[in-house]
Amino acid sequence: MEQEKVVVSVNGVQYERMVEPRRLLCDFLRQDIGLTGTHVGCEHGVCGMCTILINGRTARSCLTFAVQVDGAEITTVESLGTPTNMHPLQAAFWEKHGLQCGYCTPAMLLTAVELLDTNPNPSRDEIREAISSNLCRCTGYQNIVDAVEHAAAQMNGGAS
Amino acid sequence: MSTKEKAGNGYKWIGQNMKRVEDPRLLTGRGKYIDDIVVPNMAHAAVLRSPHAHARIKSIDTSKAKELPGVILVMTGAEAAEQTGPLPCFANPPVAQPCIATDRVRHVGEAVAAVVAESRYIAEDALDLIEVEYEPLPVVIDPEEALTSSGDAVLHPDRGDTNIALQRTLTFGPVDDDFAAADVVVRRKMRWPRSGGQPMETVGAVATFDEGTGKFTIYANSSMYNYVGWLMAVSLNVPPHKLNIIPTIAGGSFGSKLFVHKVPVIAGTLARAAGRPVKYLEDRIDNMMSCDNHGSDRIYDVELALKNDGTMLSLRMKSIDDYGAYLQFGVGHWGNVAAQASGPYTINSVEINLTAVLTNKGQQGAYRGFGSEVNNFILERVIDAAADELGMDPTEIRRKNFIQPDQFPYKIPTGNVYDSGNYEAVLEKALGMVDYKGWRKKQEEARKEGRYIGIGPITCQERSVFSSTEFWFWNHEPGFALTSSPESVGLKIDPLGKAFVTLHSPFWGNSPETMATQIVAEQLTIDPADIEVTYSDTDHGLNGTGPGGSRYTVMIAGAIAGAATQIKEKMFKIAGHMLEANEADLELAEGKISVRGAPDRSVSIPDVAMQAHYFRLSLPDDVNSGLDANFVYDHPYTTMPSEDRSDLGVFYPIMGHMCHIPVVEVDIETGQVKFLKYVAVHDAGTVVNPMTLAGHIRGGTAQGIGSAMYEQFYYDSEGQLLTANFADYLIPTIMEVPENVEVGHVETPSPFTEFGIKGGGEGGRMGAPPAIAAAIEDALKPLGVKVDVLPITPMRLRELIREAQAGG
Amino acid sequence: MKPPPFQYKRASTVEEALTALAEGGDETKILAGGQSLIAMMNLRLVRPQMLVDINRLTTLDYIRKNNGTLALGALTRQASVEESSEVAEACPLMAEAIRYVAHKPIRNRGTIGGNLAHNDPTSELPAVAVALDAEFVVQSSKGKRSIPAADFFTGYLTTALAPDELLTEVRVPAWPEGQGWSFVEISPRKGDYALVGVAATLQVQDGKCQAARLVYTGVGEHAHRISEAEQALVGNEAGEAAFSEAADIARRSVDPSSDVHASAGYRRDLVAVLTRRALAQALERCEKGA
Repeated sequence: MEQEKVVVSVNGVQYERMVEPRRLLCDFLRQDIGLTGTHVGCEHGVCGMCTILINGRTARSCLTFAVQVDGAEITTVESLGTPTNMHPLQAAFWEKHGLQCGYCTPAMLLTAVELLDTNPNPSRDEIREAISSNLCRCTGYQNIVDAVEHAAAQMNGGAS
Repeated sequence: MSTKEKAGNGYKWIGQNMKRVEDPRLLTGRGKYIDDIVVPNMAHAAVLRSPHAHARIKSIDTSKAKELPGVILVMTGAEAAEQTGPLPCFANPPVAQPCIATDRVRHVGEAVAAVVAESRYIAEDALDLIEVEYEPLPVVIDPEEALTSSGDAVLHPDRGDTNIALQRTLTFGPVDDDFAAADVVVRRKMRWPRSGGQPMETVGAVATFDEGTGKFTIYANSSMYNYVGWLMAVSLNVPPHKLNIIPTIAGGSFGSKLFVHKVPVIAGTLARAAGRPVKYLEDRIDNMMSCDNHGSDRIYDVELALKNDGTMLSLRMKSIDDYGAYLQFGVGHWGNVAAQASGPYTINSVEINLTAVLTNKGQQGAYRGFGSEVNNFILERVIDAAADELGMDPTEIRRKNFIQPDQFPYKIPTGNVYDSGNYEAVLEKALGMVDYKGWRKKQEEARKEGRYIGIGPITCQERSVFSSTEFWFWNHEPGFALTSSPESVGLKIDPLGKAFVTLHSPFWGNSPETMATQIVAEQLTIDPADIEVTYSDTDHGLNGTGPGGSRYTVMIAGAIAGAATQIKEKMFKIAGHMLEANEADLELAEGKISVRGAPDRSVSIPDVAMQAHYFRLSLPDDVNSGLDANFVYDHPYTTMPSEDRSDLGVFYPIMGHMCHIPVVEVDIETGQVKFLKYVAVHDAGTVVNPMTLAGHIRGGTAQGIGSAMYEQFYYDSEGQLLTANFADYLIPTIMEVPENVEVGHVETPSPFTEFGIKGGGEGGRMGAPPAIAAAIEDALKPLGVKVDVLPITPMRLRELIREAQAGG
Repeated sequence: MKPPPFQYKRASTVEEALTALAEGGDETKILAGGQSLIAMMNLRLVRPQMLVDINRLTTLDYIRKNNGTLALGALTRQASVEESSEVAEACPLMAEAIRYVAHKPIRNRGTIGGNLAHNDPTSELPAVAVALDAEFVVQSSKGKRSIPAADFFTGYLTTALAPDELLTEVRVPAWPEGQGWSFVEISPRKGDYALVGVAATLQVQDGKCQAARLVYTGVGEHAHRISEAEQALVGNEAGEAAFSEAADIARRSVDPSSDVHASAGYRRDLVAVLTRRALAQALERCEKGA
């Protein structure tokens, strides 16, 4: 099969690759770029594990071909922080025990990033609405809401 | 030999809500799950799944598939069987399961061939080119039909002309007499259909076969690799020491990764044949159809005998359990039933009549509760029925029959022992938290307004720390009468005084690194920041049964205590020598060993460690260099079952308990159920980390809600799995669970475990299903609706409501 | 579950897309958001030979008001519709319905054109389009034509689009002043495909129903308008009695299928309940004023 050129920015770094048109974005990120923080859960767009940001908006990378993001900016969990320099959301998830196995965590974090970008002070209901696009099998979700709420407070100047 | 500390008595680390050690790498997307493992020259596998539920494989033509560019190897089940034997099976006689179907398929989705290719994409393209000729056989889906199967409808004719895998009745105590003496016998028929763990990560393996050494190296996200992992070597036809299994962290399990042998064996078989490393990762459809880990699937007929005043006398249950196409764990799930069959109550006798059948469905494996959560459901339902019949409040009938604190350790009719408990305290706390009286008032008012609010208090057990006897004591012939289920730990202090902990069991989303860190910190007074936890492969592994049956924290605590004791002994010897003091006069606190009463005469752990590693000639004569210990900790209290099985022995004595009280409102026009409140009070003995325990309670409750209200592996009459993807198999989103599961703790320490810890990992799933059923039934009491069949979907509830309204 | 291979063309102009469609034949599909298409391809349920990627055709991504008429380009992302104040004002029924479409990440990529052209039997937008008498502008290399919504949805996953045609615009007539509306849906979980949904509009004068639309999704092969139920309302007092009658008629008029999530009987129940609830809400909104 003929390959297409994809030029895409991932976490601020420009990549140029030749890919089969059918190559899914999740596989492109995980295997071709080597960023394995984005996970794969169902490959039919229901569970949300593969969530990334395309031009700042959440999207399912299992329902996107890599060729479709030519010219776009992709954000994955790796851009948020490192163990010694965490994003406030990551710190909040840690504080509030918002993860157990960690498989849905990248998706939850990026979903929260999108939420807080447009709604820096969301209500719990608004957080729940945003989170509802991702499944979590471990936590029962409650601590994730606590974590996002806590992070929002921290990011808005520490009022808890 | 273990030191049994009292709960809540000035621990520094036990009882702390310490942030998890596992989290930093998981939060930053740097966890290494199985699909993140890449080895040089790695190829990718995919399997062809059977579209038929039951069929003979007449022929398989793989020629076109082999010719596809990028395909390295195509293998049929028959070809696989030439080099790989059947998969492990704990049942006796075993039910033979090939890793890839050989001459017949027994459930939809079973593998019939495998492809190895340069990419998973090409491998799946090749699957499309494989031509299989099937000869359909009669399909058996209804477990009651399976009772009378014969001929071609029999899945395993080599075991006889029947689909009944096991039939046995065990009677514990004077059941007939107790029933004869009863004033009231309440009977309910119930149906608990199969759901399953379905973690967000499927099962996978990366296998390499080294022709130079004849050895397999397999990365896998299975547990039990250091317990029975060598059985995979047997399947692969290599000596057991020619298999090294390297664990990866798992993205959830809930039992479904307890011992997932098939995927690593397929990967190993393919790698050996292909001469290249092979990654085989189940996709979601593979996993849903063929995960080998569906949960219990039971039809029940239950009777509870009582006196008019609500005293429970005896419990009889008859059940058909539909195990699907294979029987890897035997009927071990019924050991779990027997562990707490009579619940937290002083029921005098119990009878369990079990028929295990095989049908054309995916096989059962393990799902959080392993069959005991089902027993909680049927017992609580029949008690609610009794309360209804006797006109008693559901909390009153339970209270009346609770085992009292002074009766522990308490032996139940099946022979198992409950170590400790205070069921009254848990109930009281829950009733207070939910404001039971307040809600009963609101319920009354709501009824006047034509609204249907219900409250569902249930009290049930969460057994923890299984003994391996439960895997075989139901068998007529035990086969392999295993009695060890230990957990091991390696503990070393390096020359600089840092502690290294080696675990022999995996991470699943439970918190083994955090538990180990807190417990080592407590035992050795070393700061958590100076403790490093890693996982051993099987080459370096010691016996580790792994997470399951809520056992891990209890067992690792015992193992660490054992290892720490040895290290402390050696440190004291060395310190005594360094301080020229008697060992008996020394104490360990805050990282220092000092002379009691003379704190300035002390040496730090790093001081001692440095001495231990490098200064042999300065040590006592009888002390060698080094500072490390391995410890294999056995189940703290287990005994053999009696020959006649009238007493199953002690096999699950570390007994946690919970009270769940949901408040729901039912929209009778649509059958939808809304949570107005949810309280869950748990007793897991001494709690190491309340925050992580609450996580299991909430997460488990969400799964319980799933099983009770949303999830079912639904097979149609042709054996097609209609809920084979995430769009149809309904795992709850945040909107389907209560906004706030209010968690409360009560601690009755165990007299048998280190620190008095009890297991709590199975959490809320043990109690949520009966609680929800109770609340819905309570809401619809004016209509007389009974909830006996799960999942209680809005549609099913609407049907019951309509019937009730029509029937009058 | 990886998709099968396909040829790929990325269109930079509408003309390029139309030419590709004309040349491609039956096995060519449009790739817009891909949220339905790619899932089906991953499951290997569909195997198009060629995909024409129209995501660069930004000229088809717009929301415009022309004298009260709302014109939406087919490539408009569902999220744009959700966030649009113009849609909220000029077409509140669509604004309400769009929130039921799957989840936010899906709506960020999915387009209204893609959703309408796919015509899933449980989709929300087709019911809305029929309820509002929307018009679909459709183009091919041969020209342009306009198809009323009532004629657009023809069968299971089938529309009036010819294989070489591309949906380019959706036009919604001006919103009648004072019209009440409601879109309600019941699905197994939040964000799932609807079991049953209803798009309802209601016009009331002096307490009497003047006009109504009741269009259902999830009850047949495609969006289903029940005129008999609408007629039962007209001329009658807007309230519980009339709404119950309409609900009964609606329940009797549908012949839904059964599947693992809902029996035909349960869907019928839901049709009745949702009709009553939708009309009650629509009435409330009439009374509040548009």
